[in-house]
Amino acid sequence: MELRQPSSLADVDGLVEAETLVDIRAVVPKGVSGTTIGAGTLLAELEADPEIPSALREACRLAASPQLRSMGTIGGNLLQATRCWYWRLKYPCFLHGGSTCHARQGEHREHAIFGNEQCASAHPSDPAAALLAVGATVRTDRRELPIGELYRLPTEDDRNVTALEPGELILELEVPRPEASHYLKAMDRARWAFPLVGVAAARFGDGVRLALAGVAPIPWALDSADALEQATPLPGTAYKVELARPLIRRALDAIA
Amino acid sequence: MARLIRTEKEVEGRYTEQWVVVEEDVLEQWPEGPLQTVGRPATRVDGLARARGEARYTQDLRLPGMLHAAVLRSPHARARVTRLDLEPALAMAGVRGVIGPSDLEPLTNEPNYEGEAVAAVAADTVAQARAAVEAIDVEWEVLEPLLDAEQALAQKSFVTNPRDYERGDVERGLAEADAVVEAEYRTQSVLHNALETHQSACEWEGDTLVVYTSTQFLWGVRDEVAKAFQLPKDKVRVICRFMGGGFGAKGSAGDYTMIAAELAKRTGRPVHCRLDRREENVNSGNRNPTIQKLRLGARSDGTLTAIDAEYECLLGWDGWLPPTAGPAQMLYACENVRTVERGVRLNTPPMDAFRAPGFVEGTFGLECALDELAAKLDLDPLEVRRRNHADHDPMDERPFSAKELMECYRRAEPHWERRHEVRARSEGPVQRGVGLATQLWYGGGGPPSYAWVRLGGDGTVTVVTAMQDIGTGTRTAMAQIAAEELGIPLERVTVELGDTAHGPYAVVSGGSSTTPSMGPAVRSAAADVGRQLIEIAAQRFETEERVLRLENGKIVSDLGGSWAIEDITGLLEDGQILGNGARGPNPTGMRVLTFGIQVAEVAVDMETGEVVVERIYAVHDVGRVINPLGAESQIEGGIIQAIGHTLSEKRLLDPQTGKVLTRTLDSYKLPTFADVPEIVAELVDKPDAHLTNLGSKGLGEPPIVPTAAAIVNAIRDATGADVREIPVDRETMLRALAEAREREKRGAPAAV
Repeated sequence: MELRQPSSLADVDGLVEAETLVDIRAVVPKGVSGTTIGAGTLLAELEADPEIPSALREACRLAASPQLRSMGTIGGNLLQATRCWYWRLKYPCFLHGGSTCHARQGEHREHAIFGNEQCASAHPSDPAAALLAVGATVRTDRRELPIGELYRLPTEDDRNVTALEPGELILELEVPRPEASHYLKAMDRARWAFPLVGVAAARFGDGVRLALAGVAPIPWALDSADALEQATPLPGTAYKVELARPLIRRALDAIA
Repeated sequence: MARLIRTEKEVEGRYTEQWVVVEEDVLEQWPEGPLQTVGRPATRVDGLARARGEARYTQDLRLPGMLHAAVLRSPHARARVTRLDLEPALAMAGVRGVIGPSDLEPLTNEPNYEGEAVAAVAADTVAQARAAVEAIDVEWEVLEPLLDAEQALAQKSFVTNPRDYERGDVERGLAEADAVVEAEYRTQSVLHNALETHQSACEWEGDTLVVYTSTQFLWGVRDEVAKAFQLPKDKVRVICRFMGGGFGAKGSAGDYTMIAAELAKRTGRPVHCRLDRREENVNSGNRNPTIQKLRLGARSDGTLTAIDAEYECLLGWDGWLPPTAGPAQMLYACENVRTVERGVRLNTPPMDAFRAPGFVEGTFGLECALDELAAKLDLDPLEVRRRNHADHDPMDERPFSAKELMECYRRAEPHWERRHEVRARSEGPVQRGVGLATQLWYGGGGPPSYAWVRLGGDGTVTVVTAMQDIGTGTRTAMAQIAAEELGIPLERVTVELGDTAHGPYAVVSGGSSTTPSMGPAVRSAAADVGRQLIEIAAQRFETEERVLRLENGKIVSDLGGSWAIEDITGLLEDGQILGNGARGPNPTGMRVLTFGIQVAEVAVDMETGEVVVERIYAVHDVGRVINPLGAESQIEGGIIQAIGHTLSEKRLLDPQTGKVLTRTLDSYKLPTFADVPEIVAELVDKPDAHLTNLGSKGLGEPPIVPTAAAIVNAIRDATGADVREIPVDRETMLRALAEAREREKRGAPAAV
């Protein structure tokens, strides 16, 4: 399968002319079958699916707005770019290949408390944290990889935050069923905002896995609740540590 | 008879003395309470047209041959253009005209804030115009911007001279106080974000310039554009039939109008210049941030002995000094008051009026400080407000034309009483509380404002006036007034507005002045028609005028008998009865203001800092209410906008470059409907006996004034934490909660 490189994206008011796009809906599987979720499944379907882990269901429900969830797919959600305003405004920042992170010196209230040494952007996906907590596997058109390996912190040599190769497409997710799971989210308003902090917790037998959204350039797995204390917040993100603490406790209580 | 008077004119707290020719207002006010049409809920006469997409906004214009403009705006907060070559843009596909700083006044070589316009292009499509702007060859010398308020104050970088006010002796007042609160309050910059962005389409018809624009003031745009293009005023025709919101930021012509007009002149084609959302959120105006240093003193019974207030208003590069000290000066009967307002100039985009400019910010600080003072004195906040009620204007002893604030307090009482039950519903980490705050604001309107009314042969009525309906339901209210005066059903009235070539001068739709200015003019024009109708009927039916009156679409005689209005108008065939109306003068020697109080109920998660507004009760005194349904919408809209201001909205600037970071609606967080609480809106609805033939004041702004303070006072009630800064985001709330816990540990009192 080959994806055509869109060559004539007309960016008017940030809108893209639909006919210039490849219709990936034709090649990406949709729907839920057992523990397999097609990457083309809408968030709106997942938020109402009683069979999938409740952390994922809740993460989908708390993402975006009803209109967006009726258009947006789980695969697309996992590959969203950061909302970092410096990156969006095309500052020559680390993530854009530059040498500094403007957010570290500037406005960073929505930014990272982990993995933020070179780039303080925050990953915006709620479902990604839920999938990380339940230990999902991603199947692309080329390989299978644990979702934890889908994401990687940007480095001096490679500024991408995913391990996908150019043109590689996520097709399916394999989502194990934990005995219990939960997702909690703090945001700036009641709906339609990216997470300031999202907390996903999942229990398998005696083991509990935690993952956070909105706290690092990538979805962030937390070895334990205590690992929160190893955060390296910036002056303007110190509150996120305070915010994460009760959310982690509540999420753990919910799956206990 | 026309009368020449010297009168005080007020728009949003800016008073000017001017000559005005007014018609004597001879009509008696209608009796209090709901009438046939006025005072009864009416759905919007243009509601269906708007909902169906039939209403055409400036945004929808597609004039034949119309070009689209794009603007080269400074990407730097302060810079000098060292090289500017427009030729590459001219060579681009579809480009029909390019202008630079030497061609038009608002275009500049030395931008002083991000987004200031430097050059502009007109092309066949928006995409072509944008591509051409990218092609302009420009080099910038980037200069160090002034962004820090303290540095600006030290340099005395002001937009206007500081404004001082003093009565009594503040230091003596503070010395006499049993309790003093001294605290600093801060408010942020918020962005208007009207649905329709700022825009104009300009077209030259011979020597007349036609300006289609999204505006709150047709006639102001006419005057500005006429001056800029050196045209006789009526050679500029300004049109705005439907308007997608302004909230104060659309009171003047704006660079986009001048750019469209100049490019239209050069290309001989209509040109549409429309800001996109990102441009809108950079340089279409904003509510300026404030830093407020307050000292309040009161005796043990709650009587205020002193209000001392200093306001730093961070206006940006330009603008005007909003009446931030207004509430401190006018709200309470305090003998010793001193205020200083400074309009600080920075290299940031200029402020513009935003729904009750100054009073929103000033009320936040004052009403929060008053609650902190009440807490220190262990007094009921509502009681403290009653104790300090101003029976007359505390600035100059003038009587109020009407003031029903005590009635507002009385009606708010049961909602304030709910606090015991609300607090009792606190559970686990979620604490609940109730807070209140008082509102005052202008909103009396004034002359000059005119309307015409015509009655046709078929008995239908058309109100003609060149006013604008900025989305507030003005068409409906004006139709109700005409219908009431002529005793006909609302459906028979059409309102034609939005075109300076079609109808007489009308007031700016700002400062809550539309209804109180235009309503009386429409009523007198309708009454003029009514008088003529009676005169004609008296002749037709050979009776005396004094026994005839208009009622339920009929001409009714006291002596028995009635005739349908059409029985008279039918005689005219194509003839028409024409009426003239003008807004009469404001009452001399009186202060005309609006008043109200809001009570907020909140739930605060003590661990996560989440604040949820659960209920707001609002009662406002704006004189007679024309349309209770429209009035309720205004109150709801004001409160929702205030909730964004209080909890989630903040324009962020990069501290190094001064560039706006929150340009899009995902980063700039307006409230969603999920953030809207239960809103209980009430109006006193008592005509102001001294104000015009209607006794009505404006309601556009009052509902947004007290909400922030009411919510923050409720937060204090729920948590014991002193929040002195908005928006109350998680960081602010968690910090205030941590400070409160620290204080508790140390056993210190609640307020400094």
